[in-house]
Amino acid sequence: MSNLDTLTQKIREKAKSLLEGGQADVVIGYRTGTVPLMAAPFFARTPQDCDQLVWSSFARLNLANYLPGRTEKVALVAKGCDARNAVGQVAENQYPKDKLFILGVPCSGQVDAAKVAAKEPRPIQTSEETDDSIKLTGPGYSTDLKKEDVLRRNCLTCAHRTPTLANELVGPEVPSLPTDDFSDLTALLAKSSEERLTYFKDLIKDCLRCYACRNACPLCYCPVCFVDETRPQWLGKSTDPMDTMTFHLLRGLHCAGRCTACGACETACPVNIKVREFNRVLDKTVKENWSYEPGLAWDQKPPLTVYQPNDPADFIK
Amino acid sequence: MPEYLVKENALADFFRELTQDRRLLTPQGQGENCRLEETDPSKVSLEYTNTHKSPKECFFPQTEKLLAFSKEADKPHPNEYRDLGDKAVATVIFGLRPCDARGLCVADKVFQNDRFTDPYWKGKYEKTLKIGLACLNPSPQCFCAAMGGSPFGEAGLDVLAYPRDKGLGLKTLTEAGEALIKTTKAEPGDLKSEIADLEKKAIEAQGPIDHFVAINERKIMELYKAPHWPTTAEPCLGCGVCTFFCPTCHCFDIQDEANERGGIRMRNWDTCMSALFTQHGSGHNPRPSKTERIRQRFMHKLKYIPIKQDGVRGCTGCGRCVVMCPANIDIRSVAALMAQTQAS
Repeated sequence: MSNLDTLTQKIREKAKSLLEGGQADVVIGYRTGTVPLMAAPFFARTPQDCDQLVWSSFARLNLANYLPGRTEKVALVAKGCDARNAVGQVAENQYPKDKLFILGVPCSGQVDAAKVAAKEPRPIQTSEETDDSIKLTGPGYSTDLKKEDVLRRNCLTCAHRTPTLANELVGPEVPSLPTDDFSDLTALLAKSSEERLTYFKDLIKDCLRCYACRNACPLCYCPVCFVDETRPQWLGKSTDPMDTMTFHLLRGLHCAGRCTACGACETACPVNIKVREFNRVLDKTVKENWSYEPGLAWDQKPPLTVYQPNDPADFIK
Repeated sequence: MPEYLVKENALADFFRELTQDRRLLTPQGQGENCRLEETDPSKVSLEYTNTHKSPKECFFPQTEKLLAFSKEADKPHPNEYRDLGDKAVATVIFGLRPCDARGLCVADKVFQNDRFTDPYWKGKYEKTLKIGLACLNPSPQCFCAAMGGSPFGEAGLDVLAYPRDKGLGLKTLTEAGEALIKTTKAEPGDLKSEIADLEKKAIEAQGPIDHFVAINERKIMELYKAPHWPTTAEPCLGCGVCTFFCPTCHCFDIQDEANERGGIRMRNWDTCMSALFTQHGSGHNPRPSKTERIRQRFMHKLKYIPIKQDGVRGCTGCGRCVVMCPANIDIRSVAALMAQTQAS
């Protein structure tokens, strides 16, 4: 039995026992998608439902996104990033800790559908995975890809692949990756501020303002987002580049020090914008200034939301 | 209407002849980079699946400035509206997939009907000739035939083309299309039985999906009150991807961007997946949660539009939302749930 099958089996068993034992009203996990390369969010409420739960490398959305506002007791099937965001939801008072059961899945990384499409541009009919490869079939062809060649870029620098604060892990820990040195940002950060502005303008030139990035993000739980404010309206509704940039910059700053690099925003983006680039720069800033990583403690507040009298910065005194 | 042939070595001339007095838009690029672009007649490609975005933006751009107004008495035309709508340019689009051409027909009935005419849509739509490219090998996500269309569908097109021996087979469908092809050196030929065979093969490759038909037999309120909507909506992120990429979705929001000196009026794509879409000035929202919003989208596509448009659905089976929904809410699965609805 492959490791994936074992994890699927364990998730189903544990999900059933949590529902039957009354520890959870709903298990939020993944089911097999109706299209290739897709594991879809799935809400299991009965033991029979649990047989649809699966583990795969196509589980790209962050399920902690479904916690805020929920009144039921939730068992959350969680990768390392999802688990950290669930902890963040508790720390930011979006979901009560006593109703949450984190069913942690040690994660070896999730597959980037765009990278797959770059390697196999033909229409894909089916995708089957083993622990380290993906078999794609389409009209008149079959292709094998190595998973490690098509992982999402955020998964390649993941700091906590094994969930850190899970109630239970469904499998053995996976080896840690080398510490993220943010070397991919070297070229960007060497640019002048004008050049960086040009870079970011170009990055978002195809943005449709569909807000899939925001809506897939577990940090974006505001009841009304600033872009949706109408009385008064804060932001234009057109594809005006300045309005679009304002959205991305403000969202980036709202998420500074809270982002776990889960990559759900980039997964959801229909035009393949590397949305995380905004946050990646901010992640580095926060880590360097406050030695802070989000989602590693239940009572840890994001550094940009707290004030301490001994703050070393001058501006606030 | 008759059929014509264009041989491989005559293709470049054919496209040049098409564009004597009009610009040519064709799909360029692959995958997510495939889009309709103004194309040099020598650079037309037949090797693409479909454009990433639907062609509706040619006639109904995401943002369209409609008019400008100025309150400054010392400037020209104070307190008058000045038209800003995109100028309509004589155009021929080559390479529309039949699903998308059909999608344009659905939107066209919204923008031009016996009650309203939208001048911004009409101006561009009337100046555009549309040549479709039939799908010999439909993609795995395609289901046009289940939606009443066909990989060789003719709705909304002036000419239907298909790849033939590295050249093209053509079938003219309107007088304008016939007149256009007559301006080229395309050779007449009898392709009726060949087209019928290819169409049959392409439809068979898609396989049938029956539940869309079953929905026709259900009453509106039976479908509306069906118990599956909360669970269908539960994974929905509430983004607008499905609507923005849909070839038939046509809802928009009119906005004034103005200051004390004047401003402009524009319209932007809107999306029924957003709470703001139905937010009333009073604060009341008749579609307060994603359950109502998801229900609206699927009821609109599969029930309300067919009632208003003589049975034609608001979904043409292009498969964009199926592939692009981040949460994998698949209209084929939702239709299956709707079809299972019990009669009350």
